[in-house]
Amino acid sequence: MTLSTKPLSLTVNGHAVGPIAVPEGLMMLDFLHEYLNLTGSRMGCGQGICHACVVVVADEDGSLREMPTCITGAHWFNGKQVQTIEGHASYDGDGNLVGLSPVQQAFIEHFAFQCGYCTPGFVNGATVLIDQLKRKPVPRAELESTIVAALDKHICRCTGYVRYLEAVRDLVLKTPGLVIG
Amino acid sequence: MTRLRALGWMALAVMAGAGIVALLPHVLGTTVVGDDVERPLGENEMQRLAQAGGYVARVADCYACHTVKGGGAWAGGMPFKTPLGTIYSTNISPDKQFGIGTWTRAEFHRAVRDGIGRNGRPLYPAMPYTSYRKMTPEDVDGLYAYFMTRQPVAVENRRNGLPFPFNIREFVAVWNFLNLGHGGFKEDPSRSPVWNRGRYIVDAVAHCGECHTPRNSLMAMETDKYLKGAVIEGLEAPDITKEGLTRMGFDPQSLVRFMKTGLSAQGAAANQMLEVVHFSTQYMRDEDLGAMAAYLFDLDEMPDLASPPPAPAPVPVPAAIASSAQTTYANLCAGCHGPRGRGIPGVVVPLATNASLRLASPRNLIHAVLHGIPAQSFPGRERMQPMPGFADVLDDQAVADLANWLRARWGGQKPAVTAADVAKQRPGAVQTE
Ligand code: FES
Ligand code: FES
Repeated sequence: MTLSTKPLSLTVNGHAVGPIAVPEGLMMLDFLHEYLNLTGSRMGCGQGICHACVVVVADEDGSLREMPTCITGAHWFNGKQVQTIEGHASYDGDGNLVGLSPVQQAFIEHFAFQCGYCTPGFVNGATVLIDQLKRKPVPRAELESTIVAALDKHICRCTGYVRYLEAVRDLVLKTPGLVIG
Repeated sequence: MTRLRALGWMALAVMAGAGIVALLPHVLGTTVVGDDVERPLGENEMQRLAQAGGYVARVADCYACHTVKGGGAWAGGMPFKTPLGTIYSTNISPDKQFGIGTWTRAEFHRAVRDGIGRNGRPLYPAMPYTSYRKMTPEDVDGLYAYFMTRQPVAVENRRNGLPFPFNIREFVAVWNFLNLGHGGFKEDPSRSPVWNRGRYIVDAVAHCGECHTPRNSLMAMETDKYLKGAVIEGLEAPDITKEGLTRMGFDPQSLVRFMKTGLSAQGAAANQMLEVVHFSTQYMRDEDLGAMAAYLFDLDEMPDLASPPPAPAPVPVPAAIASSAQTTYANLCAGCHGPRGRGIPGVVVPLATNASLRLASPRNLIHAVLHGIPAQSFPGRERMQPMPGFADVLDDQAVADLANWLRARWGGQKPAVTAADVAKQRPGAVQTE
């Protein structure tokens, strides 16, 4: 099989990448790992089921969505704004960590991980959920089902779901404007 | 006084009308049920028949309609959304109050084969008595004995949500008069026993035509389009005539395997057909599945060896469509289905040999692309992973391009899908059929 390449340009964690020649049909997960050395996105099932590999993508209107990278070709992300697990915390000019994202912080406070393999996916998934709630708050009574619906697709082999849900619920409730009533 | 009298006349007229309506089933009805079923079955007979009846119930797939998920077995309550309103299946467990516990053999026969309920009022043809009419009295006895030996479940029947005038059951008698064939099943002496057995299963017990034969404006099966495929709840129940099956890439053997396992090179059973495999065909005897396949392929016996019909020749598509679709395919489909559409055995269905690309209608393909397919388990512990839906990732034109290219490349179908076709199948779009 001949390897045909196509130029790819995108923004990853705020940095412009490309144009760079990337084989057609290369999965995004491999592109992140092999071309950008961003190895935080995890390969779990490789079939779009476990959501360990999801990254955050900004749509044109700025709203965020999750996208699995194990079954999505790198070129699908052409021209898009992508955030991987490496892009959540903030660093100073020297590369020192200066702060975690609210989701990361909530996860740490709730010790919401065990082996941590699924955590990047959960962080990205929860980040998308918070963004959606900012745009469209839900009534308090629907919060639980909304969180479950959003994170349900993420699989944690250590079965750490309870703490993940607690961390996200806590964060949502203490962030103003995400729930009604 | 005059007003009172007028009211009186009106009441009389209504009563007379109701009387005539109540007579409709008797005036218009024809029965295929013989008088011999008036004799009740003895206990030994019942026991012997119940065993055979269990198999008949499986072939007839009674469970799928008469048991709701999480509900008692045979207790009914399954909703059927018809264009006229919602009809609920009834309790056919032997419960004396709500089920069929007090039904006689003859009453049961008349319900199954004539579509006439115990009280003499017609059943709605959502119950496939139009097909069951062709069942043999022995098989109906088997069903009767089988159900009467099940666990009674005291669940009350749900009221149908049918508006006037469809809630007047007696009018179904008119429908029956117009649409119900008068006779039972007749063997064709010029064909083999295998072919005849296959026809009996397909037409009578398994009632395949109820989904696979299109219906006319009166909701009756169009006999001249027998098994030629129909749209049911927004999806295509494909053409299963010999030509249709061949077009999909089936040969008699692979069709048998598909009915037994739900899996095949032509794709995995999905939606309603998956239920049929799940509750019915997987349990059928090999010789019966073989007979069905032989009949559907119009053969007098199953061939020892069959090979799949040749793949359809690819059809050219305009360059713009190909380039849009190829990009979509590489980005969103190839990760699972593979760059050459070969799939992953036991995990992801192949596309290169997939029946949904070869059907005349693109409906099922578009539906899968937009809505995805849930994870499914198949007989023998096989499983298929879920396919994500791409409704919020691809716009109508991109889906149309993809469908056109896939169908042209692997299905040999002309690229005629438009963005408007796709829009009609979006979540929330008003279904016109
Ligand atoms: S690795 Fe991508 S969804 Fe599991
Ligand atoms: S913490 Fe181990 S897989 Fe989730």
